[in-house]
Amino acid sequence: ESLKSLSIANNQPHLLEHAWTFWFDSPSAKSKQVPWGSSIHPVHTFSTVEEFWGLYNNIHRPSKLALRADFYCFKQEIEPKWEDPICDNGGKWTISYPRGRADTSWLYTLLAMIGEQFDHGDEICGAVVNVRGGQDKISIWTKNAANKATQLSIGRQWKEFLEYNDSIGFIFHVNTFSVEDCFDDCMLIDPSQT
Amino acid sequence: PDEDGSGGTCKKYSRDFLLTFSEQCIILPVAFEIPTDIAESLISDQVNNAHADPNQY
Repeated sequence: ESLKSLSIANNQPHLLEHAWTFWFDSPSAKSKQVPWGSSIHPVHTFSTVEEFWGLYNNIHRPSKLALRADFYCFKQEIEPKWEDPICDNGGKWTISYPRGRADTSWLYTLLAMIGEQFDHGDEICGAVVNVRGGQDKISIWTKNAANKATQLSIGRQWKEFLEYNDSIGFIFHVNTFSVEDCFDDCMLIDPSQT
Repeated sequence: PDEDGSGGTCKKYSRDFLLTFSEQCIILPVAFEIPTDIAESLISDQVNNAHADPNQY
């Protein structure tokens, strides 16, 4: 009987703590000189482990996306725009890779987010990969950049998950902070000085 | 630990646990629908990526 129960349990979808939405901003749409942000489209929302893999396994890796493409994974209730009230006071951690070398880190970033591996996961809005000339940039957007300890915790854990050893930078969205501090290998950057 | 999502209020899943599903779930969700122009830029023609080594992701 216990084996039967286990089998049934294993057939149940594995619910995630949050529902997440993939968004895509295609280079072709952006080239039509539409207002910034209007070319970003939601792709699909998922709330189980199984749905995530069904999507991920059929969507291009960052290395296969076209130049200037942006691909987002954000919590369902948050739009990947700084104008979203939840993002408005936030910031972002960013890691840059040579073009075509970000695929594994992108996957591991997604798995860490949807698997709730961050101690301060509630402070995370989502992640984006930006395909640019010569570089693939991955960023994690956060909600409240003023909470320094939380930002540093997220940055340090992200580096651990990716086994990334170089310094990474944090940029505040709202340019109301005059602080510039260095904490070991994570750096808080005043955008007015960048 | 609540690796299977049933042991706590927060559904935490380790990377290794999540990766065990990668080869089982290769079909797009039934309700998946996006405009053709986006699909051409975003959707892989081959779903056999799911069988690739995780190190290649």
